[in-house]
Order: sequence, then structure tokens, then C-alpha cells
Amino acid sequence: MKVLMLGWEYPPHISGGLGTACEGLTTALAERGIEIDFLVPKLYGEENAPHMQLLGAASAALMGPVPVETPRPLAELIAAEPALATDPIFMAAAAAAATQPQAGPPAEPSVRMLRVPAMLKPYLDQVTYRELIRTGALKESVAAEIAAAQTVNPLPAPPHEVTRLEHVHIPGDDLPFAEAAPSGAHYGEDLFAEVARYAISATRRVYGQKYDLVHAHDWMTFPAGIEIARRAGAPLVVHVHSLEYDRSGHGADRDIVAVEHQGLEAAARVVAVSYYTRGLINRVHNTPLDKISVVHNGVYARETVEAYTEQRTSTGPVVLFLGRVTFQKGPEYFVQAAARVLEQVPDAVFIMAGSGDMLPRMKVLVEDLGITESFRFPGFLRGAEVERAFSTADVYVMPSVSEPFGIAPLEAMSYDRPVIVSKQSGVSEILRNALKVDFWDVDKIASQIVALLELPELRRVIVERAREEIRHIHWDAAAATLVPIYESVLRG
Amino acid sequence: MPSVCFYFEVHQPYRLKPYGALQVGRDHEYFDQKLNAEVLRKVANKCYLPANESMLRLIDRTDGRFRISYAVTGVAIEQMKLYAPEVLDSFVRLAETGAVEFVAETYYHSLAALYDKDEYREQIDLEMKLIRNEFGQTPRVFRNTEFIYNDEIGQFISDLGFEAMLIEGADDILDWRSPNFVYTVAGRDTKLLAKNYKLSDDIAFRFSNQAWGEYPLTADKFAGWVHGHSGAGDVINLFMDYETFGEHQWKETGIFEFLEHLPDLILTHPHWDIVTPSQVIDRYPALGELPFHRTVSWADEARDISAWRGNAMQQRALAEIYALGPQIRKRNNSHLLALWRRLQTSDHFYYMATKSASDAEVHDYFSPYEGPYDAFIHYMNVMKDLNLSVLAPAEKQIRL
Repeated sequence: MKVLMLGWEYPPHISGGLGTACEGLTTALAERGIEIDFLVPKLYGEENAPHMQLLGAASAALMGPVPVETPRPLAELIAAEPALATDPIFMAAAAAAATQPQAGPPAEPSVRMLRVPAMLKPYLDQVTYRELIRTGALKESVAAEIAAAQTVNPLPAPPHEVTRLEHVHIPGDDLPFAEAAPSGAHYGEDLFAEVARYAISATRRVYGQKYDLVHAHDWMTFPAGIEIARRAGAPLVVHVHSLEYDRSGHGADRDIVAVEHQGLEAAARVVAVSYYTRGLINRVHNTPLDKISVVHNGVYARETVEAYTEQRTSTGPVVLFLGRVTFQKGPEYFVQAAARVLEQVPDAVFIMAGSGDMLPRMKVLVEDLGITESFRFPGFLRGAEVERAFSTADVYVMPSVSEPFGIAPLEAMSYDRPVIVSKQSGVSEILRNALKVDFWDVDKIASQIVALLELPELRRVIVERAREEIRHIHWDAAAATLVPIYESVLRG
Repeated sequence: MPSVCFYFEVHQPYRLKPYGALQVGRDHEYFDQKLNAEVLRKVANKCYLPANESMLRLIDRTDGRFRISYAVTGVAIEQMKLYAPEVLDSFVRLAETGAVEFVAETYYHSLAALYDKDEYREQIDLEMKLIRNEFGQTPRVFRNTEFIYNDEIGQFISDLGFEAMLIEGADDILDWRSPNFVYTVAGRDTKLLAKNYKLSDDIAFRFSNQAWGEYPLTADKFAGWVHGHSGAGDVINLFMDYETFGEHQWKETGIFEFLEHLPDLILTHPHWDIVTPSQVIDRYPALGELPFHRTVSWADEARDISAWRGNAMQQRALAEIYALGPQIRKRNNSHLLALWRRLQTSDHFYYMATKSASDAEVHDYFSPYEGPYDAFIHYMNVMKDLNLSVLAPAEKQIRL
């Protein structure tokens, strides 16, 4: 079976989100013998930290000959960033890489990575997108990156007949497509134009290829998925990791909802990451429940990094919020709960790690509540910083208002951290060994935090059982659920 | 002449309300009165009242040849008085038939046997007084909480003067022996009546299980199994939760019809009769001692005490509640003593169990909380408040 997967760039293993899900699922499907072309928007100008490339090397090997992204020699990396030599994660990964025979490209690569330049990344909205364009932060490097990309991974000459989207309508798709220019150089004027442009570029990129099935992940790839599936005469599967409703509540962008809707309508089958999301799709879009299958996400097994626990800087117990500081993630409930916890555990320290539109308001709220001394706002964390945050926390809290799945609690659990998750999350469906709470029930969140900080037996039992539990929440289980769904779609 | 001996356990705990950390120091009402009332009334309507009605009718119809025994915990009787006094009335009517025997246990359905022997004795005394007062009987037979038993407990109960104990007929304890004979406590004359768990669980657990090869279980078929033991035992002990009738096995499963027909069908065989535990000890000699190499109960697959103290949370909670004993007694306050004892009820610790698979399903079925962690959190918050507010230095104390 050959599948075209319209997904998102793989991040390093440690970060949550869409890229991680795409990687886990694709890798596990490949291991089950599914042949995959993995097509992603390549957002140029954002450099990965060097060690991320190294951690990504294992999966890059699996990707086969394309793209050419070999890990740089260790010495070179350390020379470029001396701090890495003291990073236990990096050194452990480097050691592991050194001892494992460097796998050459598999004889028959089952996953081919195809990149199409586009100014897209997950969770963009109109405002963020315009900001990105307006500041021009990414602009200068684009041309050079594209030139480099063209030599490594040349695009086929755009077939003349692919000049417009014939099977899908997106606000902004009537803007002229700059055919003569290298794609990516002329990014769309607004988010929807860019989504339309990506759909055309993607269609061109795989022009003439034969696929049994097209599988698209979240709304920005839906138009490309619809267009390619129609042209290829293949059924479309759309995979919903989150809905616009999750991200913005009643402030949802109607145009994004409309694009989501087209994807759901055009799909032969919809895959939701949880029963929570399945229900939400049904309510928001009227998609019949029997058209929506549930495939829960997995998590990567990892060894606990004890090294970090030595590096704690605070004296009191640490309670961690890690995620985008947006409406969806419920940061204000974390802050409100913190104030109540501090009445009982005065030396507790609360870390709100992440960036987002609600961050300034959260800082003001913390000040208003008079708990500034107990709060840290380290901003957006990457790579090793994320690992350090998880490793040094005593409790991880995810008070999401609407969370289709939520991989972060599973990651926290993989660091032997006890977690509190909102019942308004998909992940709470599959977890037994987490404390669960309604996101709005601030008193109960506080009570659970206090209990985890004060009762070592509670922590011990939860952590021991959670360690066993997450061993069963792996990507192969997700692939094992997905393959029969593919098969039933192909049978019609 | 072989016999069948029926014994039913009647118990309802005082469940704690969801008690959060922020309530500590502010809220001194620990029990969920609304929930406890609801549960008691629900079980009364589904089980106690209709089942007692059936039992009265069967005793009447068979002229007392159908006989049964119960243990009714003190906390269950207290709650009947509070929330459904008609249930207690119907138990009194059963006592008046002369065909019903009341067996003693701990008033608070506690694990005191494992932690505090003085407390254990007092809770047994309280239950004895209660049974005398309510039902006019002085129990000769004892059953420990959840059939928790080892040689030490057996000897302790023997020394209190009981003539027999009801126990779980666990395979590894009985070994080559049959549960259908009478044994004695190791080193004592006190008799042991072992539950025939295969036949008991056919009714209590498997009755409505459609995946079971013997489904549907008819009274006729079951009586046939009983009669099949002719010549291979003195007494078949059918011990189960009373809530089997109408609560664990719903009315719709046909459990009441099964009950309605079973006594007659057992009694059709000229050699078989139905007796109470005291009749068993009067009639059947013991075959020999039954030593226990471990502590046994009737709970979970393991038939041990892991249902109540299998994990660190349960062990901590139990250690804390029993450590309060000396302080509580010193106060010499009957309300405080009763409060402490209600917190000893084994169900609190049962809800904190972290078992897997089918055991977890049973624990979840009984638990009023969302899981073992919540159960532990609520309990420990209550303990914290009890320590801070009730057992605090005199000037900070709350009046009970």
C-alpha cells in the first residue's frame, strides 16, 4: 500500500505537537510495511539547534536517501556550541549514536521525505501569520534556502496543467499564482493565499505519482489533500489533531472552520485523536459519528534523566505548566490554582514555560495575586531546556480548556513526573495513572497539587504505575489501529 | 444427612465526601450524608426489602426448614436507622421467625484485627451488644471483616469464647481437604466453616454472566450440583454478600426467581437439609485442625489482604488512623471515638487499591470516587483536618 502523507516537519523527539505525532505515526506505519511519501511544508529560516539534528538522525536514516541531512560530526557541533559538552542529553545521544552502526539508506526506503517550501507551520492563525510576514524575520534567508533546497532535492518542472486548484475552494485562492518564480519566494499575501499556494505547490510536487490513499494532517494541509486525492483518484483520510474550536473557542476564525469543513466533507474517513475530539467534530461540523475513527497518539519510550534533578535551583517543590500560553491551554486556571496552593505550601515554585498571546495577561494576574515571588516565566523552551524542565518538576499540570489529545503529559510521565490533566483532554481517556480534573475546578487542581507535593506515597504509586502504563501507549499501537482503517477505506 | 448453610453479609460504609486540601481546617463534616443516604435507600429498594420479603416468605412456606444466617455490621444498622428504618424492621421480623441466625463481626467492618487487638475486641463487643439489642440473639459464631483470617486471628476469636468462625475456603489453605467438612482453628477447638467458593461464586459472581458455560443458571441445575455432593461432605457453605440479590445481580437477571425456587429444590432430596452455622457446629464433628500459612480473605483473585493494604497509599493511611488510637482514647469523648472508628471501615482502604484487570473492575464498581488516587487524597485530607482541628491543642479544638 502506498500512501501520500501530508504532514508536518519532525521536531526533535522531546517536543510535543503535530510534528511529533506525524513522525511517530509515519515511522510506525513504515515498520508495518506501508510505503509512504511524506510531504511537508518546509518553513525556511528557522534553524534547528545543532543537537536536534543529531537526535533526529535516527529517523533521518529511516527516511532514506532524500533529504540529505547527515549529522555533523560531534566535534564540529561542540565547537559551534561549547555548552553542549555539558549537556547530558546531548552527550548521551552522542554516545548512543557513536555505538550504533550508522544505518545506511534501507534497500527499499519505505518513507520518502518530500519538502515543499511554504511559509506555513502548525497552529498559525491570520494574526500570527501577518506578524510573521510584517516583521520579515524569515524573509532574507528564504531565497538562499530555496536555492540550496533545489540543488539537494530538485522540484520537478511544474507541469503546465497544474495552475489552479480545481477541487477545493479557499479564501484567497483566486490570487494569481506566481508560476514563473521559484515557489516560496512569493509567499501568499495572507494565510489563506499561502495555504492555497502550498496546495498548488504540493500538487505539482507529486504530479504523476500513484497513491492508494492520501492522508492529511490538520487543516492547512486539507486543501492540498483534497486536490491531490481528486486528481489521483485516491480516497482521502483527514486526521484531526485539533480543531479551530479547540484553539480559539468561540473566537474561532470562520474561514479556518470552513477549510476544516471542506476537508471533513471530502474525506472518505476522518481520524480523530480522541473520543473527545470525535464528539467535538460531530458537534461542530455535523460529521456523522460513524465516519470518524479514533486513533489515540503514542509516546516514545525514554530513559529518565536523573542528572537534572541535581541541578535544581529552587528550594521548594516545583509545579510545571509547559505549553503554549493561549486560551486553549488554560493558563489562568494554573495561576489561580497556584495562589491557592501557596496558602498551604508557601515554598512551592510555579513555572509557566511557553509563549503565547495570553502570557502578558498571566504576568499581570500573577502580580495582582501577589505571588510574583513564587512564579517563573522562562518563555518558550527548546530541546534540552524542555528536558530540564520536566526533569526538575515535582508535578506537571495540563489544565487545558479543550485538548484534542495532549502529548505533553505523556512526556512528563516518561520523566517519572506525576501529572494532573484536565478531563477536557483526549489523553485523559487513555490514562489511569494521572489525576484528572475539570479545567475550571481551580480548587480541585490546587487540592491535587497539594496532595502530590505532600504525600510521597501518592507520588510513588502514581509514578510507578504510570511508568508501566506508558509502555503500552506507543506509536505502534496507533499504527495497528490505523492500518485496518486504511484497509476499510480502500475496500470502499 | 448433609446440609447447606447460607450466610449473607450486610454492610454499608460511611463514605467520605470528596474532601479537598482547601477544606482542611474549615470543614469538619467528613462524610457524604447525601450519597450515603442515596446508596442505602437504593440498595434497600433493590435488595434489602425485596430479598427480606422473599426470605420471610420462603421460611413461612417451608415451615422453617429454610434457614439462613446474616452478619449485619453496626455501621449498616446505624444507617438503616437514619435513612431506611423499615429495612431494620424487616430484619427484626426475620429474627423473630426463629429460622434466622445472626453472626457476629466487627461493628465497624474494620481491619482492627491486623492493627490493634484491644480495639478489635471492643468493636466485637459493640456488635454483640447491638445484635442482642436489635435481634435478641447472642451470637455463637464469628466472621471477621471480609473473611480476613490467619491462625493468630482464629486463636484470638477462640479465646473470646466463640464456638465457630466462617472463613474463605482458599485452595492453597485447604490443599487436599474439601471445604465441605468442618475443621478447627489451629491449636483450638473452635470450629471453622469454610466457604465453598465455587458454588458460592456461581451465584454471587457468575449468575448473570452470559459468557459463562453454565449460563443460564437455574435453581434446578444448582440444586443438582448440590445434591451431587451427597456422600462427599457434611455441609456446603454458601457465603456471599447479601447485595447479590437485586444489587450485584439485578432483578432483571432472574436472581429472585432463582432464590424463590432454590430451597424447595434442595429440600426435595430426602437426605439434604438447610441449616444455620450454629446447627452445623452442633451437628458435625471437626475433621481436624486447619492451619493457615498466610493471611487469607475473600477478596480479589489473590484472596489475600492486598485489596486493603497492597500499596504504599493504603499502608500509609492505615498506619495513620491506627496510630491515633492512644490520643483518641485519652479524650474520652464518645463522638470522637465513633468518628475515629468510622474512619477505620475497611472500604476506605479498598477504594485506594491499585489493582489491574478484573480486580480493578470490582474495586471501581464499589468506589464512590473516580479512582484510587482521589480516594487516598480525600482520606488523607480528612486525616489532616482531624489532626489539626480536632486533636489540636485544647484552645484550637473544635467541639464535636
